Amino acid sequence: MNLDYAGLFRALAPETAIVVGALAVLGVDLTLLRGRSLATRMNVAALISALSVLVAFMLNGTCPCGRCWVGASGPVFGGALMFDSLANATRGGILGLVLLTIGVSTGARINRNPAEYLSILLFATVGFLLMAAAQQLLVAFLSLELASLSLYILAGFDKTRPDSAEAGLKYFLFGGMSAAFLLFGFSLLYGLTGSIELNHVADGLRHQGISPLLIVALVMVIVAFGFKAAAAPFHLWAPDAYQGAPTPSAALIASASKLAGIVFFARLLWSGLGFSAGNVSYAFTSVGWLPIVAVLSGVSMFVGNLAALAQTNVRRLLAYSAISHAGILLLGLIAVSRNGTSPIFYYATTYGIATAGAFGVIGVLERQGGCDSISDLAGLYRRSPLLAGCLMVFILSLAGVPPLAGFFGKFYVFAATLKLAGLAGVAGWLTILAILFSAVALYYYMVVLKQALVVAPAKDATPVRVPIAAAVTLVLAAIAIVAFGIWPSVLLGAV
Amino acid sequence: MNLPVQLLWLIPALPLVAAGIGALTPRGGRPIAAGAAIAALIGSFILSCLALKTALVDPAAHLTANFSWFDLGTGTFRLGWLLDPLNAFMCVMVTFVGTLIFIFSLGYMKEDANFTRFFCFLSLFAAAMLGIVVANSLLLLFVSWELVGLASYLLIGFWFHKPEAAAAAKKAFITTRIGDLGLLLGMLWLYDRTGTLLFFDNGAGCLEAGALAGLSSATLCSGLAVSTAIGLLIFCGAVGKSGQFPLHVWLPDAMEGPTPVSALIHAATMVAAGVFLVARVYPLMSADQALTNVPLHALTVVAAIGAITALMGAVIAVAQNDIKRVLAFSTVSQLGYMMLALGVGSWVAAIFHLLTHAFFKALLFLGAGSVIHAAHHEQDIRQLGGLGPKLKVTFATFAVGMLALAGFPFLFSGFWSKEAILHAAEGWEVSHLPLIAGLIAVVLTAFYMTRLVSETFFGHGRSHASEHAHESPAVMTVPLAILAACSVLIGFVGTPAWPWLQSQLTGEPVHPHGWFEGAGLMMLSILLVAFGIGAGLAIYARRTRVTASQRDPIEAKAPSLFAFLGARMKLDELYAATVGKVNSALAVVSDGLDRYVWAGIVNFLGRLGEFAGVVYREADEEGLNGGFDTGSETLREAGKVYSRSQTGDAHAYLRALAVGFVVLVLVITLGGLR
Repeated sequence: MNLDYAGLFRALAPETAIVVGALAVLGVDLTLLRGRSLATRMNVAALISALSVLVAFMLNGTCPCGRCWVGASGPVFGGALMFDSLANATRGGILGLVLLTIGVSTGARINRNPAEYLSILLFATVGFLLMAAAQQLLVAFLSLELASLSLYILAGFDKTRPDSAEAGLKYFLFGGMSAAFLLFGFSLLYGLTGSIELNHVADGLRHQGISPLLIVALVMVIVAFGFKAAAAPFHLWAPDAYQGAPTPSAALIASASKLAGIVFFARLLWSGLGFSAGNVSYAFTSVGWLPIVAVLSGVSMFVGNLAALAQTNVRRLLAYSAISHAGILLLGLIAVSRNGTSPIFYYATTYGIATAGAFGVIGVLERQGGCDSISDLAGLYRRSPLLAGCLMVFILSLAGVPPLAGFFGKFYVFAATLKLAGLAGVAGWLTILAILFSAVALYYYMVVLKQALVVAPAKDATPVRVPIAAAVTLVLAAIAIVAFGIWPSVLLGAV
Repeated sequence: MNLPVQLLWLIPALPLVAAGIGALTPRGGRPIAAGAAIAALIGSFILSCLALKTALVDPAAHLTANFSWFDLGTGTFRLGWLLDPLNAFMCVMVTFVGTLIFIFSLGYMKEDANFTRFFCFLSLFAAAMLGIVVANSLLLLFVSWELVGLASYLLIGFWFHKPEAAAAAKKAFITTRIGDLGLLLGMLWLYDRTGTLLFFDNGAGCLEAGALAGLSSATLCSGLAVSTAIGLLIFCGAVGKSGQFPLHVWLPDAMEGPTPVSALIHAATMVAAGVFLVARVYPLMSADQALTNVPLHALTVVAAIGAITALMGAVIAVAQNDIKRVLAFSTVSQLGYMMLALGVGSWVAAIFHLLTHAFFKALLFLGAGSVIHAAHHEQDIRQLGGLGPKLKVTFATFAVGMLALAGFPFLFSGFWSKEAILHAAEGWEVSHLPLIAGLIAVVLTAFYMTRLVSETFFGHGRSHASEHAHESPAVMTVPLAILAACSVLIGFVGTPAWPWLQSQLTGEPVHPHGWFEGAGLMMLSILLVAFGIGAGLAIYARRTRVTASQRDPIEAKAPSLFAFLGARMKLDELYAATVGKVNSALAVVSDGLDRYVWAGIVNFLGRLGEFAGVVYREADEEGLNGGFDTGSETLREAGKVYSRSQTGDAHAYLRALAVGFVVLVLVITLGGLR
């Protein structure tokens, strides 16, 4: 094994920048900002974090000149990490979504330890970045755990509220269980193939038939995936976590974490376990992990969309909307064999922007009076036209209304799935199901928008003051949703 | 410094941006709108000069920059820019004259409430006109052509609160559209035949030898070459835009617009677009010249129309009493000269006359504008008089313009360009009728211009307005002086002794043919000019008019002829009685059809639909809608039932995870056993 530490350092320059940023956030807060107001500490911490993310963004990717001291392409560190175009694009997308989350956190309710909060958020980011490039089971598991452990803390960060503690605990219990499943699955794979390199695992599986042991291993991996993507029936943590966690944490769980997770598992499943994928393009499926993913996809769409209809809490509604979107993401995963990873990358990124943006709007409202029930949004167009406008863009994008990015995300995924074998098989039927459920979904999204844009404000409602950083972030996110809808090739071409 | 042809689009783009700025400027932003318009046109002028320099490096070359506009099936539709001496000279002329007229408008329109809108329209016009000039595609030219028509409509009707102005704008638009229909048909036919509308495209353009050979070799059932028919259809557009007989009727009416508009559009540039168009597609128009067995050459028609227009415009101008209408008919007549030159085969002479005419006719119109401005918007020459001593600069510059238009020998540009045309007409083998018509028009032109100057500037003021006239401000007189200087100097670039312009336009050295070749014709036309001016002076200057109501000397001699000419040969009435009547009758028939036949059918269908609607509604409310409601309700209930199962109990959740795992293993195993 050829261990090139210099190459590793070049490749991990973005991670380095973020770790340095996280330490700087902590250090500055503990030394220079002693005794300052919470708002100042929050803003300085957010500024440093945002800068480190921006630096990481610039260091990411491959410099075309080839002589620079940063950037990498191809396998790095003996193949433990893989910097292909998917990895680089995903890392860029993750950094963008983290930046959005940091902006959202400046507008949300201020917790008592802003520096700790943001530095843990940055550590989670390092986990996401590594997940996007992991090419070896052990690195994969470690990066996933780095991200997950940080997220558990972030979910339970608001210790003053029992809700938040409950969210953190449930998320942790559920995540711990699924991590156990994943590790068990990995150890079985190692046992079957004798290697933890994805390429060698793939080689080892090429000549093996489907054995009961392999089936157990596959299902265990998929269970962990189902947890990460919040796919039914492994979604049960999601509504409670989304509802109880601090808003920026929920935004991060729904956006960057999801993008990293879907790319991580796409790489794991297709390049590692691709030979045991099976087939769902036709009515008679063949054994492999694709049929399981298809089941999860269908169940997620059913559960997510139906349960969302009955919600009165905005965050729970967004949680169930996340579950239904997970169904479509899994559909996109099925179609990777036909159209590559660009449709799911586009879908996950634009979904992340829209849902993090929606959480950002809710966060600003919560800071000033709370936003539990959908009816708390009433008259938002009067109380803050800016928030109402941004919320409209995000919700319409989630609903998949053209010309916003959400529409094209759905469109590309459906087009890719239908290209597999038309309506001849399970994948095609699932696509039809997804299209039908899009109509159902429009209803519950419109319920939200109706409150925000049509219903008159309550008598004692006051105008909402939006912190400037949060306002800029939300407007930029809304512009991004429109722009990626008009020029989808910017994202599609990145992969 | 040269302007590469790829950047040629900047020349029309600058005024277009200025038009946009003008459109967005509120009424109070006068300096912004006017400043943007003038600055943009000066910028275009500088770019045009650079482009001219580029073009003159190799005058025979046609520099093009073509690009794909959109893909059509398997083919690609392309547009492009063209740079050769012909359009480079046009660009310089349009931007230079345009700039002076824009500056003049600062003073002339100072008191108008819609000042910013005026400059917006002027810039739009300039952009469209420059678009025509630089286009390398008949379609792009056509688009700009229609935009010019639109700008002209907006500017003629600028004072739309005056019913005459509104009517004149409508008339101009509709009349030129009739010609444009021909142009559109010609364009479609050309595209059908050659598959391209690019003029020059490295040998594949529609004006290049390959396409032309195909066009002139094919014949129609009437024996006409296809190129003749297409050429004549395109010529229809030129007839409309350039005010040629029989579509000239809009041009005199267009004088209802503000005077700078008359100067810019209806004298210097827009009406010249028709002449430019014919010159541009000259290879197509002349493609049939080599054929001997065809009944008609396209250029013969052009020459005939030009000769008729030249003569008719001059005759009518004699009996007009409105200072701007006299100039309008002189424009019609001069455009006729240019068409005549095109028709007899000398497009170079036509462009030479176009350029000189642009300067002195802009000068004359602006001079008329200065007179009108000074005399409190009095335009009737019978009411004016005695303005010479009061408006010294205006008078001097107007006199220069008048002498240039009359073709006063040697010193003035109009003389040289007119000589070039008459010389070309003399050499035409088909007929000498155009030459005779041109020579008669020479006399008449000198005569009516002398009449105009005498009536306006000599004698005594015959109304309150003319007695209290004041010279216009410098912002108006300085452009007049510059144009007057140009009206003299521009002629010297194309004299027979030094035909620089001709050689640059054709890209071939033209040998100066000495002073004495064609000297007979030149002497004859000098005599004719002298006779015209002398007669004018004898009749109008020797005994100037005393009162406004006094009858014109010619009117006293031949009242019915004068009245006939004064009424513009009754052509408007003729059109109203023929085309207008037919059109009205068709309108009545269409109205009847629409009202009773079609409306009846539509109403019946509507009723039918209404009945069906009632039936559907019943079915819908009872059946479908109820079913849908039930379905939606079921969905919501299902959601509620499901969310009740979300208990929040963490143990239950983890149990579900384990159960999910087992179920999935079973699913996959069962699938495998099958």
